Amino acid sequence: MNRRKLLSLLGASPALLAGSSLHADQRQSAASSGAKIEALNPKGTPPPITLIPMAPRLKTLDGKTIYLVSDGFPGADHFLNQIAIWFQKHMPSVKTVYRLKAGALPDDDPKLWAEIKANGNAVIMAIGH
Amino acid sequence: MGIPTAPIVTIAFKDLAYSNAAQRGMPHERICFTPHPVWGKSDAQMYAYLEGNDPVTHKPLMPEIISALTKPLTPDEEKSGTVTPPVGPEIFSGSQDELQDYYMNNGMTDFMPVILPTREKVDAMLKGTSHSPDEMIGKMCPAKGSYPEWSYTVRNVAVNAVMAGCDPSYFPVVLAIAASELPSLSSSTNSFATAAIINGPIRDKLNMNYGIGAMGPFAQPNATIGRAWTLLSKNCGSCGQPGQTYMGTFGNTCNYNNLIIPENEKDSPWEPFHVQKGFKPTESVVSVFMGLDIRQGQNGPGLGIKPVPQYQEAFAFNFGTCAPLFGGLVVCDPLVAQGLVELGYKTKEPLLDWVWKNATISVKDAKTTLFGLRMAGPGAANLPDDARIPIFRNASYVNIVVVGGETNPYHMVANMSHRGSVSIDKWT
Repeated sequence: MNRRKLLSLLGASPALLAGSSLHADQRQSAASSGAKIEALNPKGTPPPITLIPMAPRLKTLDGKTIYLVSDGFPGADHFLNQIAIWFQKHMPSVKTVYRLKAGALPDDDPKLWAEIKANGNAVIMAIGH
Repeated sequence: MGIPTAPIVTIAFKDLAYSNAAQRGMPHERICFTPHPVWGKSDAQMYAYLEGNDPVTHKPLMPEIISALTKPLTPDEEKSGTVTPPVGPEIFSGSQDELQDYYMNNGMTDFMPVILPTREKVDAMLKGTSHSPDEMIGKMCPAKGSYPEWSYTVRNVAVNAVMAGCDPSYFPVVLAIAASELPSLSSSTNSFATAAIINGPIRDKLNMNYGIGAMGPFAQPNATIGRAWTLLSKNCGSCGQPGQTYMGTFGNTCNYNNLIIPENEKDSPWEPFHVQKGFKPTESVVSVFMGLDIRQGQNGPGLGIKPVPQYQEAFAFNFGTCAPLFGGLVVCDPLVAQGLVELGYKTKEPLLDWVWKNATISVKDAKTTLFGLRMAGPGAANLPDDARIPIFRNASYVNIVVVGGETNPYHMVANMSHRGSVSIDKWT
């Protein structure tokens, strides 16, 4: 991933790569549009980001148990049910288990994660609002 | 958890999904997308999404979901370690016009010209408080639990207060709002609004307007304190980036300078809002609110009754379309408050209790609202359809503040919840 895209995803403008002064073409016009002044950056401080390695992938979904998890947004349950129907039709050896995550949309659900870790092989999660 | 996961999100939230994944430590998360929306679509339409293409990659969706769970990880996907997102240099330099463009084009303003925060102006602003410039005030993000929290110092807030056009004497109020950690710009697809009630001697010290036009563009402190709240939310809380940290489908014009409401304590017959919340009358306090909107209440029943209109009936009626997700805030002219005292409401509490009990919705109608009966309390599901239940969860969700210049006995109602009260005196 290039630095500009990563900066954008982290909430920082890629224009910050330009450094403390403005771009060269803008500097050229500075001489004709007024004296240079200095102004402070208004931004606060973001927390450091700990990179999380992704979980190893499965070699195949055949014979596996996939948890279909909704975060509770309207329509997610029906949508995930369609995914279950798709697997029944196209990959009948896959077992699907539907679960509604507890709490509000952004809330954690350690009980569910523990259940999935104990009984599941993969998760398809519908995330919305 | 250590279990391979394929998140699915609709295309409308693409930028937000990628940004959130990156900020939480998985910049390469294998997110799959469907067309938007899912909500409201039939089963057949949803199945068609699955048989169709991911609108981002334009490749068949279900094979992509399967690949997300089975394709071996790349070295980037297996990386660990720490990344510190950059926020840019401490100083920007250029001509006045160039700097105005730079701040605006890089999302640091409200798209109106700002007072450029030179070192001299920021130093002058910092004299408005006894607190150290490097003191950490708090943390803010567009929605707690969903975004990383940015931290900010007294100096960070001073820069934003200068940009907003605040006088240094206003700075303690801005610091108190910053200390509330409530952003004026939330990330929801709703377009939320925020309000701040100001109480205590600070109002007169700063010449805040709590008379005619109090909530309009008629006084510098009223205008600029609210504007500073929005700027610091954007810059110190990483709020207000459309598509990433702001998803309000309409936007809300209140967000330009929020609803700054200095209470008219002098003409109110009741104890001030902050005293209700446990502060002394001589303390200066800011109380912050968040919710959906505010509207004028002139069509309420009871207002035509003479000699004293039944204002409380109008309040209850006008709350009728409010969402139980938030509480209710009545904003009334002192003439209304004085009339309610004549009706027997010598204090705010019995009035608020009455309004809570009488701002109701039928069970039948409640069942078909967005949230159904989820916030109505455990017994509501057992009630008949024609029973009426309070819109707000309990009386503490209903508040009232007195403001205005007594030109007429009008009121407004806001669908907003009180989110906390902070001492302004602490920040002087």
